[in-house]
Amino acid sequence: MLWSVILLVFFSPILSAQEEASPEEAEPVDTYLSLLATYTSNDTVVLLASLYIRHGRERIDLQNAQIIFTASGEKDQVEVGRAFTDSTGSAHIKVPLLNPALPADAEGMITYTADFEGTDNYLSASEQFISKPARLEVSFYEEDSVRYIRVNAQQHAGDAMEPITGETVFLFVPTLFRPLPIGEVSLDEEGTGSIEFPMSLIGDSLGNITIVARIDENDRFGYVRGENTCSWAIPKHLFSQDKPTRELWTPVAPIWMIITLLTLLAGVWGHYIYAVTELIKIKKSASKEKSEEKDWSNYS
Amino acid sequence: MANGKDQALLTEFAPQIERTSLIQFIWIFFLVGVIAAGFYALYVQISEGHIVTGMRDNVVWGIYIVNFIFFMGVSYAGALISGTLHLFRAEWRKPIIRMAEFITIIALLIGPCYILLCIGRLDRLPYLVLFGRIQSPITWDVIAISTDIFGCLIFLYLAILRDIAAIRDFQGIRLPNWKRKLYRILALGYVGTPEQQKRLHRATDVMAAMVIAIAVIVYSVLAWIFSVTLQPGWHSTIFGPYFVIAAVFSGCGVMIVVMWLFRKIYRLEQFITRKHFVNVGILMLILAALFGYFTFSDYLTKWYGSERNDELLINLLFDEYYWLFILSNYVGVLMPMIVVGFPKLRTINNITISAIVVILALWVNRYLIVVPTLESPYLPIQDSRPAWLFYNSTWVEWVLTAAGVAFFALAMTVGSKFIPIINVSEMQDAPPPEDEEILV
Amino acid sequence: MKRESDSNPKKSSRRDFLKKSLVAGAGVVAAGGLVEAYLDTQAAESGEKVKVLTTDGEIVEVDKAWLRYPRVSRKESRKGIPGRKFVMVIDLARCKNARACVEKCQHGHHLPKDQEFMKVYLLQDTEYTAPYWFPKPCFHCDNPLCVSVCPVGATYKRTDGIVLIDTQRCIGCKFCITGCPYSTRVFAWRHYEEYDEDTQPYSPEASSPGVEGTVSKCDFCPDLIRVGKLPYCVSACPMGVIFFGDLDEDVVTNGAETFQFSQLIRDRAGYRYLEVLGTRPSVYYLPPVERQFPVNRGFDGLEENVSKRYENTPYVKKQRRK
Repeated sequence: MLWSVILLVFFSPILSAQEEASPEEAEPVDTYLSLLATYTSNDTVVLLASLYIRHGRERIDLQNAQIIFTASGEKDQVEVGRAFTDSTGSAHIKVPLLNPALPADAEGMITYTADFEGTDNYLSASEQFISKPARLEVSFYEEDSVRYIRVNAQQHAGDAMEPITGETVFLFVPTLFRPLPIGEVSLDEEGTGSIEFPMSLIGDSLGNITIVARIDENDRFGYVRGENTCSWAIPKHLFSQDKPTRELWTPVAPIWMIITLLTLLAGVWGHYIYAVTELIKIKKSASKEKSEEKDWSNYS
Repeated sequence: MANGKDQALLTEFAPQIERTSLIQFIWIFFLVGVIAAGFYALYVQISEGHIVTGMRDNVVWGIYIVNFIFFMGVSYAGALISGTLHLFRAEWRKPIIRMAEFITIIALLIGPCYILLCIGRLDRLPYLVLFGRIQSPITWDVIAISTDIFGCLIFLYLAILRDIAAIRDFQGIRLPNWKRKLYRILALGYVGTPEQQKRLHRATDVMAAMVIAIAVIVYSVLAWIFSVTLQPGWHSTIFGPYFVIAAVFSGCGVMIVVMWLFRKIYRLEQFITRKHFVNVGILMLILAALFGYFTFSDYLTKWYGSERNDELLINLLFDEYYWLFILSNYVGVLMPMIVVGFPKLRTINNITISAIVVILALWVNRYLIVVPTLESPYLPIQDSRPAWLFYNSTWVEWVLTAAGVAFFALAMTVGSKFIPIINVSEMQDAPPPEDEEILV
Repeated sequence: MKRESDSNPKKSSRRDFLKKSLVAGAGVVAAGGLVEAYLDTQAAESGEKVKVLTTDGEIVEVDKAWLRYPRVSRKESRKGIPGRKFVMVIDLARCKNARACVEKCQHGHHLPKDQEFMKVYLLQDTEYTAPYWFPKPCFHCDNPLCVSVCPVGATYKRTDGIVLIDTQRCIGCKFCITGCPYSTRVFAWRHYEEYDEDTQPYSPEASSPGVEGTVSKCDFCPDLIRVGKLPYCVSACPMGVIFFGDLDEDVVTNGAETFQFSQLIRDRAGYRYLEVLGTRPSVYYLPPVERQFPVNRGFDGLEENVSKRYENTPYVKKQRRK
């Protein structure tokens, strides 16, 4: 984000000269704010807000806008953090759920609010997201020499934890661009579900792999995420390590090619050098002849 | 050193070197005009970009590369006639070797210029040396052509050395002082002592052998630039020897035409006789047969195997390029064979006319090798712009082609004013004994 | 300035949230993926952002997303992104010649309409086999003939499999264009005004700004990959035709769907084009089985100079005869 801010600061003097003929903002522009809350491991919630405006049919993100996040329950309201939107118009914070516990209503649902105060040019906006905290745990076990991934979902019930039943949990492996879905489980009465560990998964060079479990778009819990690492994956083989060093297309040529070329060149230019030295000797013998003639003429 | 016979020859050629007639001036003026037009075309190309040529994303190599191959090929006339015949001590070659050497070196200097015309960023030319990659056929070509130019320059120098010394000593010729001084410097103090003669002889023998070897290597490298790619029509195993044969063939054609022109202009009838035309004509016949054989072999295998893209290419050749194909591969092969083969038809003029046809046919042959292949790639050209579908050469390319030919003619003319076009010194050499071995 | 309705902050339902979803049309999985971004892996959304505004009201006509993409030096671009080997899969069953990939790529690389890095052909291999729309980027071959023949080393293959061109080194001899059997490379026959639009320093990874008299081609967008974005063509395609990913990880994605590469190729009988030539491409094709659209849909809404291109194809000629 710092990078884009720097770029923007650097380029805006240049670019503002190229400003489109934008209509004078007589009235402030309407803004749109979206918010979602994801519960992650260690009893944390990640609040993600996105601020944009509509320009014709296009959507333009607002950068550098301060979003104020609050959490409220039946009675209390607490500000849990502030963040500035980045170049994609997104702002996020991580908030611990406990110590102190976030305010919740009687059913344990927490109302998260994101506020944009607005400026002279942009209207304020506010958005809410209501969900109940939950916890997803991923673990691994082996039974009858078959490997499994187990998912366990819990929700807070007073001071204790209660299992979440009947929901569907999706399992993924994080990759370079998008998470790879590897399966889904339905939670039983104990809030647990298992699937077989896919033996075709590829991990890092040691075979370690992270499995992520997610509940998405749930009416009660919103978004919940848990992850764990095991070493059952196939160790990654790096193709780049197999890269040959002496091929037609590498920077360095195959040895036989270099030798052949040098041999041919040496052969041909060797003959050239011979011919040129003969020419030089011709010239030398001419001057020798001349000086000899002079000697003889002096003698006689 | 200059003996009686020498003097007589030199007296004969002195006017050539001394004076330039009015017609010759007009001729030179005309050539300079064409070259100036070429410079203008070059300016247009540099300022507006290569878009002024007919080359586009599929046919990226057009007339410039055809000219490059053609001129490089022509330069092997020298290799064959001068080099080979020197090694075999063929007596009849003596009057024409000077012309052959001139053709060699001049064509060799013009050819690479056409590559330069084809290069998009001439300001980066040094990169070929600074960052050269050995695996690239173009690097092989750069090395080979530089070696070739250097070798041919040495060979030419060795060949004209004795004539320069003869002119330097000859008193019956009026020369400005600067010219006489130039001859003196270039003659390297050669006075014809036995030792000097032996050295010169050995060096010339060695370089003659080298010139032949270089000719084969350089032209094969040029052929490999095409044949190592996967383009249908180019990816042929026969290209190396095929190009070498075609090169020497075209060199023969140019040789005959040049012989005819100099014979007419400088009235050399007593030196260059019908026998010379017939002998070079016989060489041309043999090469025509070989050329026809290689061409036939190449197209037969492509046609018979009828791999899809080979078939597309052959269809293209026989649809769009039908008459050009006939000219190049039938007329160009059969005409010299018929004209030289039948004794009744073997006149100087007939042989020269067939040589002209051969030159045209070989230029068209190079065109048919380069362009139709690029017009029939593996992925069909799906484009709406006509310039991108087929190659349409523009005036810029043709003017620059004409400028190259004009430069060739100009250099030959100027060269003949500097050195007698007949090798005076060798003419008066005694023929070698029957049992003399070469490369002693 | 506060809006009037601010006294009662709206409650939103899940459905409302999805409407205002951060990722247009990509749904649940992508939204969840978004959270991934802020947790550990790199940024992963694929929305079309065109302009950026600051809250001070300056409409900064940045106009292209690439301002945010860092550009590495020429020397750095010769090494690859470590530990990766990029591969692309193109699903011919879905392509309907929307040409969004062509246009977004031209837009992102500042190319004139004349030059296309991604080309879409209408192919029909033989008389009875299916006609299909064939998007063709550079194949980034593992045995790249174009790299072998370059005399100055202006084009090179990196450890991550990507073949790039350094147009500061290219001398424009066009040998690589004849070396490529897939007609991938394009030459800048003149200077185009679009090249001047790019104000960032040149990097071979961005293949921009273009240089007259040099060669250029599809580059798999390494500058986007470095910040975790998919190449322009992948994110532009409305049908999700193009998949992109890392062969080492064995995963490819088109932004919305993610698969294990080896499984996808095996299940859908993927192949490489003209495999017999021995170039070993890094782009795989899924055959046009169970097409989502008839081939004719590819002619809908085409500009005239584009639809004219296909006039001489066997398919169009056959349609005319009917």
